[in-house]
Amino acid sequence: MLGPDTAAYLIVAAFLFTTGALGVLVRRSPLIVLLSLEIMLNGANLALIAFSRHFANGDGQIFALAVMAVAASEVVVGLGLIVAMARKRLDLDVDKLSSLRG
Amino acid sequence: MNAAAWTCLLLPLGSTVLITLLGGSISRRAAGWISTVSCAGAFAAAVVAFVVMLGRSPDDRSELSTAYTWLAAGNFKVGFSILTDPLSMFMMLVVTGVGSLIVAYSLGYMDGDDEERRYFAYMSLFVFSMLLLVQGGNLLFLLIGWGLVGLSSYLLIGFHHERPSAVAAAKKAFIMNAFGDATMALAFFLLIQKTGSLDFDVVFSRADGLSQTVLVLVALGLLGGAVAKSAQLPLQTWLPDAMEGPTPVSALIHAATMVTAGVYLIVRTNPLFELAPHVQELAAGLGTATLLMAGLIALVQTDIKRVIAYSTMSQIGYMFLGAGIGAYANAMFLLMVHAFFKALLFLGAGIVIHALGGEQDIRRMGGLRKLMPKTWLAMLIGGLALAGIPPLSGFFAKDSILAAALAGDTYDRVLFAVGIVGAFLTGLYTFRMLFVVFGGEQSAYVREHPPHAGHDRLVNWSMGLTVAVLAVLATFGGWIQFAGVWTPITDWLEPVAKPLIEATNSQEAVASIISVAVGALGIGVAWWIYSAHRMKAPRPWAVLEHKFYFDELYNGLFYWPAVALARILDWTVEGPIVNGSIVGVAGLTRRTGDWFRALQTGLVRVYAFALAAGLAVLVLVFIAVR
Amino acid sequence: MTSHGWITTTMIMLPLIAAVVLWVVPMPRVWVAPAALLVSLFEVGFWIEALVRYDFDRGGLQEWNHATWLKDLGVSYSVGFYQGFSIWLVGLTTIVMAASTAYGYWMRRDRPRAYYGLMLFLTGAIVGVFTAQDLLLFYIFWEAMLIPLYVLIGAWGGPGRLNATIKFVIYTMVGSLLMLAAVIVYGLQAGTFSMIDGGTNASDWIFLGFAAAFVVKAPLFPFHGWLPDAYRESPAEVSAVLSGVISKAAAFGFLRICFSLFPAGVQDFRTPILVLAAIGLVYGSLLAFRAPDIRGVVAYSSLAQLGLIVLGLFATNNLGIDGAVLQMVNHGLISAVLFLLAGAVERRAATGRFESLGGMAKGRPALATVLMATGIIALAVPGSGAFAGEFAILAGVFQQGWLYAVVGAVAIVLAAMYVLRMISGVLHARKGPAVHDNALDLRPAELAILVPLIGILLFLSAWPAAITDRVLG
Repeated sequence: MLGPDTAAYLIVAAFLFTTGALGVLVRRSPLIVLLSLEIMLNGANLALIAFSRHFANGDGQIFALAVMAVAASEVVVGLGLIVAMARKRLDLDVDKLSSLRG
Repeated sequence: MNAAAWTCLLLPLGSTVLITLLGGSISRRAAGWISTVSCAGAFAAAVVAFVVMLGRSPDDRSELSTAYTWLAAGNFKVGFSILTDPLSMFMMLVVTGVGSLIVAYSLGYMDGDDEERRYFAYMSLFVFSMLLLVQGGNLLFLLIGWGLVGLSSYLLIGFHHERPSAVAAAKKAFIMNAFGDATMALAFFLLIQKTGSLDFDVVFSRADGLSQTVLVLVALGLLGGAVAKSAQLPLQTWLPDAMEGPTPVSALIHAATMVTAGVYLIVRTNPLFELAPHVQELAAGLGTATLLMAGLIALVQTDIKRVIAYSTMSQIGYMFLGAGIGAYANAMFLLMVHAFFKALLFLGAGIVIHALGGEQDIRRMGGLRKLMPKTWLAMLIGGLALAGIPPLSGFFAKDSILAAALAGDTYDRVLFAVGIVGAFLTGLYTFRMLFVVFGGEQSAYVREHPPHAGHDRLVNWSMGLTVAVLAVLATFGGWIQFAGVWTPITDWLEPVAKPLIEATNSQEAVASIISVAVGALGIGVAWWIYSAHRMKAPRPWAVLEHKFYFDELYNGLFYWPAVALARILDWTVEGPIVNGSIVGVAGLTRRTGDWFRALQTGLVRVYAFALAAGLAVLVLVFIAVR
Repeated sequence: MTSHGWITTTMIMLPLIAAVVLWVVPMPRVWVAPAALLVSLFEVGFWIEALVRYDFDRGGLQEWNHATWLKDLGVSYSVGFYQGFSIWLVGLTTIVMAASTAYGYWMRRDRPRAYYGLMLFLTGAIVGVFTAQDLLLFYIFWEAMLIPLYVLIGAWGGPGRLNATIKFVIYTMVGSLLMLAAVIVYGLQAGTFSMIDGGTNASDWIFLGFAAAFVVKAPLFPFHGWLPDAYRESPAEVSAVLSGVISKAAAFGFLRICFSLFPAGVQDFRTPILVLAAIGLVYGSLLAFRAPDIRGVVAYSSLAQLGLIVLGLFATNNLGIDGAVLQMVNHGLISAVLFLLAGAVERRAATGRFESLGGMAKGRPALATVLMATGIIALAVPGSGAFAGEFAILAGVFQQGWLYAVVGAVAIVLAAMYVLRMISGVLHARKGPAVHDNALDLRPAELAILVPLIGILLFLSAWPAAITDRVLG
């Protein structure tokens, strides 16, 4: 097997995932939240591919491709929402979007 | 014979259907003619059947004809069938004969009423129902006719449906009759369980094998139906209220149809009653008690129709007495002549009411003899026949029942004594009414509203002619049978209802002399008080004016408890428990939801944190469990 | 798929497909109601064809249409007419649904595409319930039948419709879920969900699961909490369907499922169910006697009548069951007519309360005749079809215990009381404050809807053996 050990990949993946999660939790701008989500997904992708290599099985890679497709569509929808919000001159602040409060 | 019998049954039904379907496209009078012609046609068919039957030997006079299977459930089958035998023949002739006269009379009486078509449709339905009752070839069709008679009476008593009192009276009649229907139905359920059938011959032939308890229960159920329909104690209270209907309806109910059905039922099912002799004695006792009570109440009534109504109740009491002691033919004989003179009395009273513009209170009448001599004559014939004065028809029939009672055991003789008292009362109340209405000076009301003669010839003819025919029948109708000498009715009915008891000639003579004497005494007392005014009329007793408080009693015993129970159930069970439980479930769900609402902050970061925290917890648990 | 039996599938699928077409395909609004009415009349036509085809002498399952659906689970699409009673109930369904659809057309219900789509969907689902021969399929149709009802009550109902819908949903959901559990347990034990191959099951619990759904849907005392509100707040024609047809689905369930699959459970719980039915009979009659409005009387009388029908079924002899099936058809038609009449009266007087009604007979002969005729049949006057049904039921249950028949006889008297009270409350005595002089008599369109129903009732009065002789076999 070429390259670093699987554990190294997983550490990077965990780092990416945590970074993204923190971003989602602490940032208020929807743009950044969306960005952080992408980072989380990429972390997950990295983990999938690492395991795929580790077990010499293609399934993980296929799954990663599916995740990318989902991520792409998610960005489209997310950005669309943000643009719509901007055009309605709403504050770009997730804390102020609380109309679903029970 | 069957074809004629079916024609007789279906003609009146056909006219009901026809009038209903044609609706407004025919004139009111045409509806009356359709009804009259159909009833007369039914009478003609009955006569044809009668002639055919007369030509056969007495053992061969019973014929059952089934059209099709009406109800088949499980092993129980019952056909739409009619039984044509001497008893049903006898009733068919009375019902269609008197019935068609009354319908013809209605042509004049109801002339000009807004809803004449509806009236005649109902009248035909009434005649059909009664025919179905007497012709029904098994117990179930007897019950169906029974129920339809109750329905028709409901429709006709409540004919003036804009009057609340008429509607209430109609409902009362129907519900009391429904009570009787229910007891009969229960008796039938018992018969189905024990004999598997409701056919007359099957039931009668298997009745011997039934236990005494079963027989008593069955007979009691039948008796319950009979007293309800015939307005005998204790289910008599609907009859006087039924006077809310138009007068010809009262005549039809009292003379040709309905109230005589109870007598017919007892005679028809006599094999069952004879196996439960105590119930049969009870029937005689109830009839006797009713004839006494009705006679007393009739003394204080002030409505001309109600006086006659109570006299019917009393006469039916005599018939129950006769049927109860086993003098079936005598009871049927009285049934027939009673139909004649009672129809006569009602229709005569109808002429009076019609002439006075709807007034029914006898205290406002008086001195009508000079103004309406023909009506006075008709009413006099009816009254004498009712009081049992020879040679009018009532004498022959009533006295033969009393003689039969005299021929029986001690119990029957007590009934005889009460019957004699009843005969006195009959003379008294009948002639009280006649003297007050026709005798004396003209009252203020009559002077102000002089009877007007009708201008329409048809009206006069329809009312006058029918009353004349009935007057002839009431005069001579009793001569058909003269006890001990000449007994065609007893012989005719022998194959169906063999008398249990027959009076000797001397008993006949004793009974006749006593009853005629007390009847005449009653008339004399009536003359003394109400015509000659030698004595002031005594104040009516409150107990009589309140009809022995039966209405109050039944309201207190049944109606108000039912209303109260419904109300209590509504408040205690329906509201809080049935309805409350579901409201409670909904409320609980809502309160639980309120608690959980707090979690929905609407802040997306909180949700995300919850997700992350949940994930973390899962991971920790995962690690810990490993 | 077996080729014969196409008619059963057609009768289920035609209205379902028509419903989807109405929802999806755009068409001018004026076409919607006639199209729906046409489909429902076709249903009646198909039913007549099925009636002609069904061989009552042979009995059993006929017009059977079968296809494997989920092979591993033993679930199949299996529909057909099982014994005579399912023919009669399907007939009742198609006729009442056609009348109700026509009545909706006459009333010009708003949002027609949704409304008529739901009515057609409902028709298909009910026919499915009466013909399903697979328990899971039965359950699916059962639920499919309830969903349009929720919407019809909730969206087109009267002012109190939300509460009515909530109660209806909660009650029926609880019942249905218990039934689902019972269906699954039965299917796992038997290895198939087929009602024909499954064989009997002695478990009382499974029986109770089914009984719960049926008892709520019928309803039987004391599970009728949803009934008064639902019957009062629904549009008149939906009430007609609810009490005329849907309640019969419950009685059908007892007859088709409980009696053939769970004879032991029926045996064990016969007495409690008979007692509940008898109580319901008297209780419903008493409350009907006190109800302040027409719909209240009809609603509580439905409770009483269903009690009577269950009495007949649980008499567990042919006499009672034959009478019960006849009474199902009779009551279905009677309550449909009465609810439609209640709607007609409410349309004219804007209220159904007796205190504001009265005196409507004067000058309105058609209304008076129709209401009087139906009322007279409803109170089971001897000679009517309802009388034949009640007589057979009570004669049957008499053999289980005379007391039930005595209670039934008392209820007959009570029935006379409440029906006459309703008739005179609407038609007779003084003119009520809500009755205007210019309130019209029944219009020809209304008569065209009601008279055929009454015609069938009169036919059944003349010849009740037409049904009672062709129930089981």
